Amino acid sequence: MKLRIAAPLVAIALTTAACGGGGGTSAQPSGDGKSFEFWSFTGIDQKKSVDRYQKENPGVQVKLTEVGGSTETAQALTTALAGGKVPDLVLIQGDDLPKFVQQPQNFHDLRQFGADKIKGDYLDWVISQSTAKGGEIIGIPTDVGGMAVAYRTDLFKEAGLPTDREEVGKLWPTWDAFIETGRKYTAATGKAFVDNAATSVFYQAVNQGPMKYYDPSGNVVYSTSPQVKTAFDLAIKAAQAGITAKQSSFSDGWSAGLGKGQFAVVSAPAWLLGQIERNAPDTKGKWDIAAIPGGAGNWGGSYLAIPKGAKNPKAAWDYITKTQSPQSQLEHFVDSGSLPTTPSVYKDPKLTGHKDSFFSDAPTGTIYTNSLLGLKPFHVGTDSAAIGQEFLNALENVEQGKGDAAKAWDAALANIKTAIGK
Amino acid sequence: MTTTLSTSRAASTPPAVPTRVRQSIRERVAPYAYVAPFFLIFAVFGLVPLLFTFYVALFDWNPIGERVFIGLDNFTRLLDDARFWNAAWNTISIWLLSTVPQLLLALGLAHLLNQARLRLAVFFRMSMLVPYITSVAATAIVFAQMFDRDYGLLNWMLGLVGVEPIDFKQSVWGSHLLIAAMVTWRWFGYTTLLYLASLQAIPRSLYEAAAVDGAGGWKQFRHISIPSLRPVIVFTIVTSTIGGLQIFTEPLLISRVSAVTCGPVRQCQTLTLFLYEQGFGQFQFGYGAAIGVALFLLIIVMATINYVLSTRTRSERS
Repeated sequence: MKLRIAAPLVAIALTTAACGGGGGTSAQPSGDGKSFEFWSFTGIDQKKSVDRYQKENPGVQVKLTEVGGSTETAQALTTALAGGKVPDLVLIQGDDLPKFVQQPQNFHDLRQFGADKIKGDYLDWVISQSTAKGGEIIGIPTDVGGMAVAYRTDLFKEAGLPTDREEVGKLWPTWDAFIETGRKYTAATGKAFVDNAATSVFYQAVNQGPMKYYDPSGNVVYSTSPQVKTAFDLAIKAAQAGITAKQSSFSDGWSAGLGKGQFAVVSAPAWLLGQIERNAPDTKGKWDIAAIPGGAGNWGGSYLAIPKGAKNPKAAWDYITKTQSPQSQLEHFVDSGSLPTTPSVYKDPKLTGHKDSFFSDAPTGTIYTNSLLGLKPFHVGTDSAAIGQEFLNALENVEQGKGDAAKAWDAALANIKTAIGK
Repeated sequence: MTTTLSTSRAASTPPAVPTRVRQSIRERVAPYAYVAPFFLIFAVFGLVPLLFTFYVALFDWNPIGERVFIGLDNFTRLLDDARFWNAAWNTISIWLLSTVPQLLLALGLAHLLNQARLRLAVFFRMSMLVPYITSVAATAIVFAQMFDRDYGLLNWMLGLVGVEPIDFKQSVWGSHLLIAAMVTWRWFGYTTLLYLASLQAIPRSLYEAAAVDGAGGWKQFRHISIPSLRPVIVFTIVTSTIGGLQIFTEPLLISRVSAVTCGPVRQCQTLTLFLYEQGFGQFQFGYGAAIGVALFLLIIVMATINYVLSTRTRSERS
């Protein structure tokens, strides 16, 4: 507590002192071409992909670092770009990507390596998110979210609800029906139905439609977009229905709640399944996966990018092409459950026939790709993550019983305006 | 004594004028040379970054993009920013909640530990340092778990006597109390030992004389211990102001999900966390630096107020 007077100031100043304008080092790569440094984030299991690549390409050394969560990794990358010492390859989460796409001079334009030729392999709305204004492609998509709902069959049975995944999906064609089902469940068991309203309702519903926080030409419209208001009101309704466990996603209480059956339902994009499995290993076979209310939509997904100052851009690109080809993405899906961004494999029996034993042998490949097929893509902008966070905060505050539901929407808009300045 | 001094001075023959000049230059320079390392290090790691922070605060500075000179705009924006005032209020509230009990507790404990008849005195004195040497991250994680709404020890015990679980992290006062408890726990031992060291310097005879005159423990504490402790109390108040206004790790760690805002309505976001959020979360280096400057000024103001108040009470009393 003592003598730390200048610590935060020093921290800011030292970091800024090191930066002389981002990404100035575009000179000849100085690496050996045989090894490269790869920054990923935790929870996405890139190690499996790296291990397979190293087995198939002996002599290439991949130095994989799991920096932290996706946000921390993006922060570390920004600092690294500003400071000039960067990894050769980095995994960036979809929400964090726009900030980097806006400053494409910090990255290699992957077209110079031939990204133009392979870009047709990927879902066009996904690759368009990593394409800068000038046409530079700065990232190749590794996976997409896709949406579904994970539910506990044992708890549904206790509550007298159907347990078959088809029938469960029919319980909630709409979010209103979902909330009604929640009321029935809570009335029958006295327990919470869903983990929380902010992530499991708002974050899903807001991702289902053509216009989220930005219009197609990139103007902010979060305050007028009907899609946003509808999703917000649904979440308020869910919070007030008393069917939520009030556990913020990914918090310690949430992880514990998964295992203890504190709630029976979690909205689960493809990449979340692994987290359920890791946090609640004892619940194997008690979960199943049903379609999400409202149909198609996507939440999440990541991209591989090569910073401009990379020492071994060629080695990094080789890794991208080999591990992100449709066949490799399919194999990665079978290994770790990350949903491919390459639609050509969506009909492959390896994907459609894949069953996840942790989730009562649910055909995860079919369920998640179905949720992508009818999808209407929306524009993701620089401040999408910040806007989403403020909406989540306002909803969580209502859910915790602290905030006034009637004023929550206006409060969220005011906070967003302060945060992003528009 | 006077005689000894004068003889020794007389005994040393005055040196010739040139040597004397050279020597006196050396003598004059030597002290500065001895303290120079501190000032050099301070200049490199303290002063330059500090001045650079003032400089950065004048820009709209995106670390991976552009840097535009905007003068004092960051500061006017700061004054209008409700998040800044919220963070300032949280910081002061947490600081008060942690400093006041901490210093009072330390005073009491130091007095107890200073008792002549205390058994195992060394053991107790050393044990005061245990919280201080525990990693702040470990402290924060343990406290966060103890105060957890659903699976926390504290709520479990409250549950035994029929009290509904309290969600400390979600409410303003709860989260402030939780953080203040962590800070107090971590620092009371350190402060106690500072006070104890001061108390030990007071001659026992003073207490004995007071006892003979009929003064009880409390009177002795008030009229002998407290006045002699005054300088060190001023010192601890000033240093805990500086430290308390910079609380960072504890609120960052108690809610790991929405860490930089410390809860959905920023209920326990301190100024340093706000600085971190803007500087390294949103990457608005200029705005972050402006928060740093504001924090710096706030610390100077608060420390001065504390100093003036505590020295004034002394002059009034004496």
